[in-house]
Amino acid sequence: MSAQTAATVGLARPALDLAAAPWRRVSVWTVGGVVAAAIVLPLLLVRLDIGTYLMTLLILFFVQAVVAQSWNLIMGYGGIYSFAQVALFAVGGWTSGVLVHSLGWNPFLAILVSPLVAVVAALGIGLPTLRLRGVYVVLLTLAFHELARVFAVTGPRFISGGGYGLVTVQTFQFGNAIGDQRTIYLYYLAGLIFAIATFVIWRVIHSPLGVAMTALRDSETYAVSRGINQFRVRLVLFAISAFFTGLAGGYSTHYNGGISTTIFDFPRIIDLLAMIVIGGWGTFGGPILGAGLVIGLDQYLVALGDYQTLILGLALAGIAVFAPQGLWPLLRATYEKYLAAEPLPPAVEVSPAAPHDTTDEL
Amino acid sequence: MSTQFVQALWGGILFGSVYGLMALGLTLVWGAVRLLNLAHGAIFVVGSYVAYWVVSSLNLPILVALPIGVLAAAAFAYLMHLIFIRPVIGKPGFDNSTLIATVGVSIAVSAAAILIFNPEYKVIPPVIGGNFTVSEVQITKQGLLVIGTSLALFGLVYLFLTYTRLGMAIRAVSQQQEAASLMAIPVVRTYGMVIAISGALAGLAGVLLSPFFFLNPNSGFNPMIQALIVTIFGGLGSVRGALVAGFVLGIFESFIEVYYGVAWAQPGVFLLIILMLILRPNGLFGIGEVRRL
Repeated sequence: MSAQTAATVGLARPALDLAAAPWRRVSVWTVGGVVAAAIVLPLLLVRLDIGTYLMTLLILFFVQAVVAQSWNLIMGYGGIYSFAQVALFAVGGWTSGVLVHSLGWNPFLAILVSPLVAVVAALGIGLPTLRLRGVYVVLLTLAFHELARVFAVTGPRFISGGGYGLVTVQTFQFGNAIGDQRTIYLYYLAGLIFAIATFVIWRVIHSPLGVAMTALRDSETYAVSRGINQFRVRLVLFAISAFFTGLAGGYSTHYNGGISTTIFDFPRIIDLLAMIVIGGWGTFGGPILGAGLVIGLDQYLVALGDYQTLILGLALAGIAVFAPQGLWPLLRATYEKYLAAEPLPPAVEVSPAAPHDTTDEL
Repeated sequence: MSTQFVQALWGGILFGSVYGLMALGLTLVWGAVRLLNLAHGAIFVVGSYVAYWVVSSLNLPILVALPIGVLAAAAFAYLMHLIFIRPVIGKPGFDNSTLIATVGVSIAVSAAAILIFNPEYKVIPPVIGGNFTVSEVQITKQGLLVIGTSLALFGLVYLFLTYTRLGMAIRAVSQQQEAASLMAIPVVRTYGMVIAISGALAGLAGVLLSPFFFLNPNSGFNPMIQALIVTIFGGLGSVRGALVAGFVLGIFESFIEVYYGVAWAQPGVFLLIILMLILRPNGLFGIGEVRRL
C-alpha cells in the first residue's frame, strides 16, 4: 500500500492551517514588492540631489534596525533584560577591525568572522548569567558593557589604538567603484544584512523556539512546568541576537572606516532602546518602525543639540510608563480597521501589558 | 607595613564605604518596591550639581551646600516616583516600564546637566580639608569623613528600619505588600518615602565623593555600576549584605589595582562576582524571597 497511499496523500494535501503557520500569512507579493522596491530605490535616488544623503540614512537605518531587532528579540520577546547589546556590537566591530587593520584581511572576509566572535562573547556572558533572575541579568550585562569599554580604552594598542579606538580601518572596496556607485553597493550590502536578519528573526519568532520564549516570558512557572528548558531557550536566543548584532558591528566598522570608543557612551544604548520602546516592545515590526522614526527624527532634531537627548530621555520614560505598547500595535489596529479585507487573526506577539507571573517579576 | 599595602587598604576601605553608601539606597528600593532603579546614578549627579551650584554661584560654604544637595536629590527622587513610578505600581509590566523609565530619566538628567552647566569637569570643595600621612600614604580627612558617614548611615538606617514606625512600615511592605495594606499601611506612600530616602543617600554620596572624582554629567554612572555589583554580591535587598559586600569588593578591587595594575581591577571584580553567582546565587546574605531588608 505504501507507495501509492503516500502519493495520494501527497497530492491531496490538507489545507494549510494559517494560524498554525503564521509566516504563510504574509503574501509573497508584499514581500517581493518591498524587496523589489528596495533594489530599485537607489537607482532612482542617485538622480536626486540629496539622493546620496538619503542613501546613507537608509544604510544607517539598516544597521540600526538590525541591532534593534536583535535586541528586541531577547528583550521584548525573550524577557531577557540584557544591556550588553552595544557591547556585542562593539565586539563584532572590533573583531573585524583588528583582523583588517592588524592582520591585513579583506573586509568582506573579516565581517564574516565578527558575528562568530560576538556569539562566543555572548555565550561567555550568557552561560553564567542566563540561569539567574532578570535583575541579575541587567546588572551583569551592564557590568559587561563597562568592562568592554574599559578594555577597549586601556587594552593592548592594537585594540585600543591608544584610547580612541581604531581610526583608520580599511573600508569596503567594490572594484574601482567610487562616489555614488560605491554608496549604492554599500546600500545593497547593508540591505542584504538587514533582509537576512529580519527573515531569520521572523522565522525564529514563529518557530517552536519562539513560542517557547514567549511562553517563558508570559508565565515562567507554567512554561517551565510544561517542560521548556528555560536556560537553553534563553542561551540560543542570546546567541542568535549576538550573531546579527556582531554582523552589524562588523559592517559598521568598514562602512565608517573605523570604530571609536565613544560607541560605548550611554546615549547609544538610549537610542536603541528608544527605537524598541517607541516602535513597540515585543512586536515584530516595532523595532523596524522605531529605527526609522528615531533616525528620521534625528535629522530634524539634531539642531537642538543636547535638548534632543533630554527630550529623548523624557519621551522614553513617558512612553514606557504611559503607553508601554508603543506605536506598532496602534498601526496594526488601524490597518485592521480600515484596510484589511477581514479581521486578521490576533497577533502572536503579546504586549508587555499581558499578565505576568506575579512571583517571578524581573 | 609597606607603602603599597597601606595604600591598597586605605583605597579599599574608602571606596568600599562609598560603594556601600550607593548600594544601600539601591538595595532599600529593591527590597521594598522591587524597583531596579537605574536612575540612581542620575540622582547622585543631581545632588552633586545642586551642591556645586550652591557653592559656586551662591558662594555659600560647603557645609550649607551639603544638606541642600541631599534634600534636592531626595526631592528629585520623589518627583521621579510621582511621575514615572506611581502610575504603574501594581500594574502588569511594572518591571519593564520602570526599568526603561529609570534609564530614560538618567539620560535626561545627564543631558540637563550639560545644558544647565557644561560638560566640563567641576570641582566641589571637600567638607574638611587637610591630610596626614601613614607610611607615605596620604590619608585625607575628607576620606575619613566619607568612611565615618557611611558607617554611621548604615547604623542609622538599621535603627530606623528596626525601631521607627515608618521603618517598620517599610519592612512590612517589603515582606508582604498585601498584608501590609490590610494593616492600614499606606503602601504607595511608603514606596515614595523609600525612594526619597534612597535618593537622599545617593545625593549624599554624590556631594561627599565629588572632591575625589571630578564632577561631570555622567559621573554617577560608574559608582552606580559598582553599587549594582555590590548589591548582587551582598544579596539583593539585604542591608547587611550591602555593607559587607561594599568593603569586600572595595578592598579586593583596590588590592588588585595596587598589585596588578588598574587594568585588571574591573575584570577581577567581574570574575569574582560571576564566581559568587555560581557558588551562592543569592549573594552573601541572600535571604531568598520571604524576608527582605
